[in-house]
Amino acid sequence: MGQPGLNRRQLLAGIGGLTVAGSFGFAALGTGADALASSASTRVRYWNLFSGGDGANMIAMLDSFRKEHPDIAVKDSTLQWGNPFYTKLAMAAAGDRAPELGVMHMGRVTGFSPGRLLDPWDVNLLAKYGVREADFNPALWKRGVIDGKLYALPLDIHVQLCFYRKDVLKKADLLGDDGRIVPVTSTTEWFDVLKKAKAVQKKGLQTIGLWTNDQNFQWWFFVAFYTQLGGQWFNDSNTEVLFDADKATQVLEFLRQHVTDGYVIPGAPTGEQFINGAPFTWEGNWSVPVFSGAKLDYGATPLPAVFGKQATHAESHAFVLPHQAGRGGATNDGAHQLAAYVVQHAQQWAAGGHIPAYTPTLSTAAYKKLTPQNEYASAMDHQATEPKVWFAGSTGVLAQDLGPVVVSSTMGSAKPAAVAQTMKKHLTKLLASKNPMDGKTAAQGGAVA
Amino acid sequence: MTTSAQTVIAPARARTATATATVRRKQGFQHGGWFVAPFLGLFAVFVIWPLLRGLYLSFTDANISGAGASFIGLDNYREALHDSAMWDALGHSAYFTLLVVPCITVLAFLLAMLAHHIERGKWLWRLCFFAPFLLPSTVAGNMWQWLFTQGIGLFNETFGLQTPWLTDKSYAMLAIVITTLWWTVGFSFLLYLAALQGIPDHLYEAAKLDGANAWHRMVHITLPMLRNITGLVIALQVLASLQLFDQAVVMMDFSPGPELSTRSFVQYTLEQGFTSYRVGYASAMSIIFFVIIAVVALARMWLLRNREEGGR
Repeated sequence: MGQPGLNRRQLLAGIGGLTVAGSFGFAALGTGADALASSASTRVRYWNLFSGGDGANMIAMLDSFRKEHPDIAVKDSTLQWGNPFYTKLAMAAAGDRAPELGVMHMGRVTGFSPGRLLDPWDVNLLAKYGVREADFNPALWKRGVIDGKLYALPLDIHVQLCFYRKDVLKKADLLGDDGRIVPVTSTTEWFDVLKKAKAVQKKGLQTIGLWTNDQNFQWWFFVAFYTQLGGQWFNDSNTEVLFDADKATQVLEFLRQHVTDGYVIPGAPTGEQFINGAPFTWEGNWSVPVFSGAKLDYGATPLPAVFGKQATHAESHAFVLPHQAGRGGATNDGAHQLAAYVVQHAQQWAAGGHIPAYTPTLSTAAYKKLTPQNEYASAMDHQATEPKVWFAGSTGVLAQDLGPVVVSSTMGSAKPAAVAQTMKKHLTKLLASKNPMDGKTAAQGGAVA
Repeated sequence: MTTSAQTVIAPARARTATATATVRRKQGFQHGGWFVAPFLGLFAVFVIWPLLRGLYLSFTDANISGAGASFIGLDNYREALHDSAMWDALGHSAYFTLLVVPCITVLAFLLAMLAHHIERGKWLWRLCFFAPFLLPSTVAGNMWQWLFTQGIGLFNETFGLQTPWLTDKSYAMLAIVITTLWWTVGFSFLLYLAALQGIPDHLYEAAKLDGANAWHRMVHITLPMLRNITGLVIALQVLASLQLFDQAVVMMDFSPGPELSTRSFVQYTLEQGFTSYRVGYASAMSIIFFVIIAVVALARMWLLRNREEGGR
């Protein structure tokens, strides 16, 4: 069996060789195609976490940037939202394979090892491209400043909103002369509103979608109402827990009452029921395109000020510079230019429901015309945010530890007062624990601007 | 057809038997060695090295950025032993295993009996029972997430229920168990089917002649003949179920489930490593899990050996 075997081997070797050569060829073609696609001399790689409507809006903004700046090739990559994104970004920065530009939630920046995994912005370079501190809400800008340096350039704030159906509320006589929901100033008033709405709503639906089982939403609602009560987390030097268990209990009882009074069907889909006729749903502002697309007659306000003071949970998308050992030069310049451009041209972004961080955009007539955006744009001035510590931020350790505990109270498997004590215990433990990135506690972190 | 080893050895017939054996061993090693070398290489790079590296990391406070780790001895292990969240997660994995293993063993056996005995459309039965096993976990998880969704899911619609399968802690794990049964039963089904086909017909014929009815044949022939394969199915399922992760994570939208009720040991380890960035601590937990799995596997071997010895 000499010859045929030999031939077969030769054939196999040939195929193998061709495959390998082919894959190299394609790989070469890939990089070649990149280069061919634009005549740009500078390439800016940009990682983001925007999918769905946000993704489409971001791509539209990038496309207009490309058109205006043919000298910069923007290579954008959209990665899975949440922890997978942060893991990839951290490992890329740690392995010196980081892109020139990235996006993060503002609350996560403190824990993302500024100085090691993130590089600070060159504010002079930003100013050259038209973005200055004065153009931002001061509280928002400060959240991105760590140890006196700007690490996160805010693009927007996104908030939890109270969406309401005008058609249903009109029947219940709950709309004011301006066609908007009557303002609420206490928990009693709020449950009164729910009662009236329930009386006229479609049967078989819940009155309000409250994400009772979702640890993220329940945590965000908790942060909002706890802030309304003036509740604090830690002292200024992050050495002492100031969490007020009594105030927390009040908030937890308020959330729980929606279930016990029968205004919520636990586990029921929130957005779908709202589209089908449920009078209320509490959702993030990113639901605006969905409800507008469904052609509903609806409005959206910040979460009701049931404890007297306005405050609604807010997070921010912000541009960051993932750490590169040799950051600088034309690519770094391009990253600054691109971020500044997107921040300044966020009108498109605002259509997706987000409140633009750049105040000149916020005050344009075009933005003020957007509904229901103009009804909740004021949320910029009363943001309820997580404390500025390494374990906070969107889907961070704090939310993962406390979210499920809040859910257990809202769902009724634990008593609000006991849950408030558990939360305090968690906060005490977290404050004492060391940031795995730099081995410092929140008190030693120097994260306060 | 002669093998190459024999061809080489042929001229050396005059040598002593010992010498021939030595050559054979040498030749065998050379040829065999080359064949297993790629596997050994990959095994060393992707299993042995990470295992040793993980063991080392478990004694440090390493973080995800890889920089600034220092040796902290047994601190991670000490902390893990007092970490109630870790014990809860281990409990969830164990609970899942307790639910899945008996169900899958019985179900696989019943399906194999069905496919073995039904004559018409045999291939269709086999395909139906085995096909789900070929799906990636993300596909299976996403499909069943839809089926279980409250309000619009096929599962509730079909049975006229309003059960919050995925959002209530009393049902979430059950939903994952049902998905897993559908998704993975095909593998055990195939093992049983092969074993059933291996039972000689003459045993049944002889029993029939002796007047044994179907029940007697099942209890006295089929089940004893399948004892080894049942042991294998149970062992493989226990080891696989303890490692619960992907389908649960997909079905719960990458969350630890309602009130953390579906957070498995593997998921908690991953959270510690990649959400909390505590690579050292996560490594310690991986090692603890490795020991647990190894103990289960060794216990199974020990039980089986005792049974075999007892049978002699």
